[in-house]
Amino acid sequence: MEEKPLNEKESLELITRMIKNTHQKLEEGNGIPFLVWGYTSIIVSILVWYQLKITQDYLWNLLWFLIPLIGFPIQMLLQRKRERGIKTYLEKIIKYVWTVIGVAGFVVSMGAMFYWKIPILFIIIVLMATGTAITGLIIQFKPIIISGFVSILLSFGCLIFSHLYSILVFALVFFLMMVIPGHILNFKNRKRHV
Amino acid sequence: MFKELDPLLHSELRLAVMSILLSVAEADFVYIRETTKATAGNLSVQIDKLSEAGYVEVERGFLGKRTRTVCKITPKGVEAFNNYVEALKGYLNIN
Repeated sequence: MEEKPLNEKESLELITRMIKNTHQKLEEGNGIPFLVWGYTSIIVSILVWYQLKITQDYLWNLLWFLIPLIGFPIQMLLQRKRERGIKTYLEKIIKYVWTVIGVAGFVVSMGAMFYWKIPILFIIIVLMATGTAITGLIIQFKPIIISGFVSILLSFGCLIFSHLYSILVFALVFFLMMVIPGHILNFKNRKRHV
Repeated sequence: MFKELDPLLHSELRLAVMSILLSVAEADFVYIRETTKATAGNLSVQIDKLSEAGYVEVERGFLGKRTRTVCKITPKGVEAFNNYVEALKGYLNIN
C-alpha cells in the first residue's frame, strides 16, 4: 500500500476491507487467564488445606500469597506470547474490572491475614465471581455468565462449612467458576479456527 | 453541493491506518504495517502526518526488550473520519 489518492468508490472499499480484516482478528476470545487463575487457586488451596490438616499451624495460610506470585508471571508470559498487536475497547474495560477486583481482593486478604477475623474465602469468591459474571456479560459468553452467578451463590458454602472444609469448597468453586468456562471458551475458539 | 474530501484522509495508506484505528482501542506499528502491507518507512511518514494533524496519538514504549510503537485514534481523528465518510456518501449518492 502506498500514499496514492483514491476515487470515492475505492475509498469506501478500502475502509470496509480494513475494518473487516481487523474484526476477524478481534473474534479470537481467550480462556487462558481463567485457566491460569483457576488452576493456580485450586492447587494452592489444596496445598494450604493439606498443610493445615497435617500441622494445624496457622502460618501455612501464608501460602495463599502463592496465588498472585504464581498467577501474575504466568499470565504476563502467556499474554506476551499471544500479543496480536491490537487492543480492543472491551479488553481495556475487562482489564480495568479485574484491576479493581484484584486490588480489592489483595487489600481485604491483607486485612484478614494480619488484623481482622473476617470470612476471607467467602469474600474472595464473591469478588471473583462478580468479576467473572461481568466479564461474561461484556464478552457475551453464556458459560462464563452462568458460572459467575452460580459461584456468587456457592460462595455461601464457605460460610456454611468449617474453616478446613471451606478451603475445599473454595477450590471446588474455582473449578466451576474459572476452569470449566475457560476450557469451554478455548474449545470454542479452536473449533472456530479449524 | 459536494463537501470537500479531507485531503489528509483521501490517500490510500492514511485512510487504511485510520480505518484500522477506528475499530480498536489501540494498534501497534507492526500490526498496521502487516495489515496495510506498507513499507515501514512510508508507514512511519504517513503516521507522523496523521499525528501532526492531531488525528492519531503515538506512544513509543517497550514490550520486553523490543521497542513498541502504539497508535490510537483521537476524538479529532474520529470526527474527521466521520466527516470524510459523510462527504463520501454525498459523492456516491448514499444516504
